[in-house]
Amino acid sequence: MRYITIALAKGRLAKKALEIFEQVGVSCEEMKDEKTRKLIFTNEELKLKFFLAKPSDVPTYVEYGAADIGIVGKDTILEEQRNLYEVYDLNIGKCRMCVCGPASAKDKLMHHELIRVASKYPNIAKDYFYNKKHQTVEIIKLNGSVELAPIVGLAEVIVDIVETGATLKENGLEVLEEIAPLSARIVVNQVSMKMENKRITKLINDVKNYLESND
Amino acid sequence: MKKDLLHTPEGFRDIYNGECYQKKILEKNLHKVCHSYGYNDIETPTMEFFDVFNKERGSIPSNEMFKLFDKYGNTLVLRPDFTPSISRVAAKYFEDSVLPIKLCYQGNTFINDNKYYQGRLKENTVIGAELINETSLEADFEIIAMLIDCMKASGLKEFQVEVGNVAYYNGLLHEANISGEMAEELTNLIREKNYFGVEELLNSLNINPDIKKTLLELPQLFGSVEILDRAKQLTINEEMTDAITHLQNLYKLLTDNGYDEYISFDLGSLSVHSYYTGIIFSAYTFGMGRAVATGGRYDKLMGQFGQDKASIGFSIIIDAVMAAIERQGIRLETHGESYLLVYSKNSYKTALKKATKLRNEGIKTCIIKNNLSKNDADYLEYAKNAYLNKVIFIDDNGNERECL
Repeated sequence: MRYITIALAKGRLAKKALEIFEQVGVSCEEMKDEKTRKLIFTNEELKLKFFLAKPSDVPTYVEYGAADIGIVGKDTILEEQRNLYEVYDLNIGKCRMCVCGPASAKDKLMHHELIRVASKYPNIAKDYFYNKKHQTVEIIKLNGSVELAPIVGLAEVIVDIVETGATLKENGLEVLEEIAPLSARIVVNQVSMKMENKRITKLINDVKNYLESND
Repeated sequence: MKKDLLHTPEGFRDIYNGECYQKKILEKNLHKVCHSYGYNDIETPTMEFFDVFNKERGSIPSNEMFKLFDKYGNTLVLRPDFTPSISRVAAKYFEDSVLPIKLCYQGNTFINDNKYYQGRLKENTVIGAELINETSLEADFEIIAMLIDCMKASGLKEFQVEVGNVAYYNGLLHEANISGEMAEELTNLIREKNYFGVEELLNSLNINPDIKKTLLELPQLFGSVEILDRAKQLTINEEMTDAITHLQNLYKLLTDNGYDEYISFDLGSLSVHSYYTGIIFSAYTFGMGRAVATGGRYDKLMGQFGQDKASIGFSIIIDAVMAAIERQGIRLETHGESYLLVYSKNSYKTALKKATKLRNEGIKTCIIKNNLSKNDADYLEYAKNAYLNKVIFIDDNGNERECL
C-alpha cells in the first residue's frame, strides 16, 4: 500500500484538524511532541504521512501531488488559484474576507474611481475589484499589519481577513464590503482522488460523519 | 563562457542525453501503437491563425496563447492544442469523404501559462490520434482501447483512464435552463468537485428540486462502474439517459476485450475545452499530479470550419508521461546489440571497416579514438551513457579486445 500524505497549514488550523483526525481514529503521536525537529510524521499502521507547511504553500504541495490531501483556509485557496479538488468544508477557523477602511472611504467604492488597495491577498483583491465590481484599482502587496495602510495614507482601503473586527475598530476602521466567507477546507490532488479514491473518500467521509454528528 | 546566454526562457528547456534517448523510445513506442491501428501521420503547421483557436472554437483562453503578427497584420498563434488544427485540415481536405478518416500526429504545443512559477513547461510534446467521420460506439471504444495500449506501451503498469460524458451534464443544464456566465461558474465548481460551492450557487438560483439534487450529486459521481447505475437513477430526460446507456455499452465492449481494469468513470469531469460533445476521458498515473493524456468526442467543432463531422480523439502529453515513468523508476530500453569501438593511433582503418560492416547489418556502432588518459572503466561509463552495450578496443595491430 502506498502512503497517503497529508499537508497541514501550520498554526491553529493544524492543531484543530489533528484533533478531528484523532477523533476519527487517525492519530499521529509523533506530531504531538512540540519540541520535535522532525518535518514529516508517519502513521505506519494506516500508511499515512503528515507534514506541516506554510499555509500558502499547502495548495502548491497538493497541486503537484507531493501531498495527496491538504488542510488549508479558503483564503489561501482563493489566493493561490491552484488546480485542486476542494472537497469538504471543515467549518473551523471561520472568518470573512472583507474590504475595510475608514467610514469615509465608503464613497470611493461606489463610483468606479481609481483607488489604491493594500492587501496580503493581491489575487483576491484583484479578482474582486476587476471582475465583480468592475473598478480599476492599484493593488499594493503588503506582507503584514495591513491595517496600517489606510492610517498612514498608503492606500484608501485594504482587503483582509476579519475575524472579530476588534483590530479594525481600535484603529478607526470598519468593514465596508464583504468579499467571501472563509473557513478551513479539505483539498485533494486531482490524480490522488482517482488513484486512491477508496482510501481518500473513506477518510473524508469519516471526518464528515464525525463533524455532522457533533452539530 | 557567456553565462547569461546559457539559459532558456522560463517554461522552455533542453532535453538531452538519457532523457532524450528515453523520450525518443517512448515516442516510437506510442507511434507504433497508432500505426498498428492503421492511423496515418499528419503534420500541421506550428503557427496558425488565432481564429482557429478562439473562444467560439472552445480551445484555451486567449491570454494563454503565444501570439505574433504576420506582415498583413493577422494575428497568429503557436498552436496550443492540436484538435482544432486537425479539424481545420479535415474540413479542408476531406470534405467529401464519407468513410472514416484516421489520423495521428506528433508535435509540440505551446501554452503561455502565466499563473505559475518555474517548473511548469510551456512547450510540451504531444502525440495523439483522431478518428473522424464516425459517430459509433465502436469508434469511442477504438480510441479508448488505443489510448490504453499506448499507456501500456509507455511502460506504465498502474494507470487509470477515467471516462465521463458531457452529454449528461449538458442535458442537465438544458433542463435547469442555466446558461452563459452562470453555467461557466457552475461548470468550474463541479470540475473542482467543490460540493458546497455548487450548493451555494444553486441555492441562489430558482431551479427545480430534482435537477438541483442531481447537480449537487454530480461532483461525487465518480468511481468504478457502479456509479453509472446511480447516475441513471438521477436522469431526468432522454439526453441524460442516453448518455449513461452509451457509457454502459462502452464499458461492456471494453470489458469483453479485457480493458476494464483500467477504466473508471467520472460524470463530473468537465473539460476546459468546451468543444467536447460526448464522452471525454483523462488518463492518470502515480507520480504526476495531473492527467497525462486527455481526449473526447467533438461532433460540432468541424462544423465551425465548414460541415459537421463526428470526431473523437486523444492526445498524450509525452513530457508528462516521461516525468511519471521516471518517478516510477521505469526505464525504457531498446533491444539488440550495439557497439562502442575504441581505436588506437594506427587502427582507424580497421575500426572503420568493422563499423561499416556492423552498420550495414543495422547494428548501432559508435567509434571513438582511444584517449590514453582514460581507462576501461571510463569507456564503460561512456558506453552506458550513450546506450551502447559492448565496448571493443582495437589496438595498433588490429587486434580486438572486448572490455567487460
